[in-house]
Amino acid sequence: MTGAPAPAPLLANQVRTFTPTMLLTWAVLATLPLWIERVGLYQYLAVEVLIWATYALAFNLVLGHAGLPSFGHGAFFGIGAYAFGLAQFNIAASLWVCLAAALLAAGLAGALVGLFISHRRGIYFALMTIAFGQVFWFIAIKAHSITGGEDGLLRIVRLPVELGVAALALEDNVALYYGVLAVFVLVSLGLWRLVHSPFGRVVKAIKQNEERARFVGYDVWKAKFTIIVLSAALSGLAGGLFAMAQRSAFPDVMSLHYSGYVVMMTLIGGGLVSFWGPVVGAIVFLLARDLIGAITTSWMLWFGMLFVALVMFRPDGLAGLFGALRRPATAPPRPALQPGED
Amino acid sequence: MLVNLLPHLVNGLTLGLLFALIALGFMLILGLMEQINLAHGSLFAAGAYFAYAIATPKLPIPADLNQAWAAVPLGWRYTVAFLAAPVLVAPLGLVIERLMRRTYGRDPLYGLLLTFGIAMVLEDAIRALWGTRDYTLPVPRDITGGFFMLDLIWSRYRFWAAAFALAAIALVWVVVERTRFGAMVKAGAHDGEIVQAMGIDIKKLRAGVFVLGTMLAALAGVIMAPIWGIRPHMGIDAVVPAFVVIVLGGVGSFWGAVLAGLLVGMVVGLTGAYASEWSLLSMYLLLILVVTFRARGLFGKKSLLEA
Repeated sequence: MTGAPAPAPLLANQVRTFTPTMLLTWAVLATLPLWIERVGLYQYLAVEVLIWATYALAFNLVLGHAGLPSFGHGAFFGIGAYAFGLAQFNIAASLWVCLAAALLAAGLAGALVGLFISHRRGIYFALMTIAFGQVFWFIAIKAHSITGGEDGLLRIVRLPVELGVAALALEDNVALYYGVLAVFVLVSLGLWRLVHSPFGRVVKAIKQNEERARFVGYDVWKAKFTIIVLSAALSGLAGGLFAMAQRSAFPDVMSLHYSGYVVMMTLIGGGLVSFWGPVVGAIVFLLARDLIGAITTSWMLWFGMLFVALVMFRPDGLAGLFGALRRPATAPPRPALQPGED
Repeated sequence: MLVNLLPHLVNGLTLGLLFALIALGFMLILGLMEQINLAHGSLFAAGAYFAYAIATPKLPIPADLNQAWAAVPLGWRYTVAFLAAPVLVAPLGLVIERLMRRTYGRDPLYGLLLTFGIAMVLEDAIRALWGTRDYTLPVPRDITGGFFMLDLIWSRYRFWAAAFALAAIALVWVVVERTRFGAMVKAGAHDGEIVQAMGIDIKKLRAGVFVLGTMLAALAGVIMAPIWGIRPHMGIDAVVPAFVVIVLGGVGSFWGAVLAGLLVGMVVGLTGAYASEWSLLSMYLLLILVVTFRARGLFGKKSLLEA
């Protein structure tokens, strides 16, 4: 990154490692298993929410922070899920090995895709990610001998956490929840640091105006490539956890539909304007799926309408809505993304 | 050996013409609005389902009227379905255009998200109305079955499908290249503000283009239905090849879309001859290969959606 201005120390000091929002989020999540059943929900839903929230945070690295619309991210999530299962069957039934395999496999796939799409922007980027997503999805369905085809990989085991001296079983949904929460805390902390690091500022500059960032002297290609690989690897990690939670890996999550769902989650929460938006979005999405789904089988019909209304009127999502409510009425409303800004 | 490949080539060409037809409607909207309409596939599916409802007939009208219509020979029912389905789907396109208006001039991401939402809504609406099972669009006897040629059995319907698609593509060419409307569309895609300043109502123009694109999608759905079968996710199955064709041919190029459509169809058809399992994969690999060396596709021009 030749010619990159040194980060001003004042700015670096402004960003705290732990923020009240972050600690509050973690604290609420930590108590969740204690009260989730009292509000009429179930423990497994909490596990699923946390996994999708981790995935959405990783995805938002690309969409919200770098401004790159990926519609094929399900591929990385799915590759992580398959890698987790295949590592368990063929390499070693150890949680660390399997999670590392999920992270690595998805990261490698991200690197391969990144080689082709790091030079692209906007619609072309979106279309190429759809094409790559379809390629991986197609392979997952057709490579029957490896992935089990439409049936998927079955009999994946919830592996215990081996800590050398002791091993914690994650068989139970509540135990698994705390295991996933540990990953979520690490991932969200790491992403928070990354986004607020000098590198994060470069990524932000690219989002605002790629050409300007290039002229200022940043290596735009390298930054975008790095972001894609990191996002893919962390999505794969979430996918690995998902395979463990589901005790199986299916090609479904790699389809265009599911790749779109994570975009929906991220946008609903307000991933374009807020770091924690994707977490809120994942919660809202899965709650809506269960609550609307309990009333009607075509829940996406109704949820999709809500989503369409949201994109039309509040493209900055729930976080944007919250921000608008908090701002004094006299302040001029912040415009949504302007053409050419993003 | 070569003769054995012939049916696959012909199938590929038919498929290619249909992909080109879907892609052209998609591109008209992309060109003028600079927005990707992911719901284009849903309109394609709606065309197939509407045609099924008319031809079978399973119309939402009193039972005795339905029965009277069922007594009409299939040839007539099919012809009416073929002509009426695109017209009936057109209002759906107008509704989508009305919703999409808010995204014009904004980041194309919003149009993409909006139409993804609409596509999900329409797909679930189809499931709610017709269920998840597959349907077959009945086709008159004159255009079904097979016939012998060069010691091979050929599907009669595929030749009809190719002819229908070719006629529709020719119609698009005439409208875009030989009419005042087409000139306005091309000018609008180039610079909407100037067109507006010249006294052309760009809102009406956009609505008109959307209707045209919608009808092309629905027509493609009707033609494709007997080949693919009618099922809820046929929309996504159609829209993804459409943008592969657009990106491969180059955004904004009519001949690029037609040529890329044929190319994609041929590649899919020929892969089908050797490894039918993987035939759809080849189309993405072709896209990735071409775009790696020619970023704007085969005939792409600079400007459109470059950002």
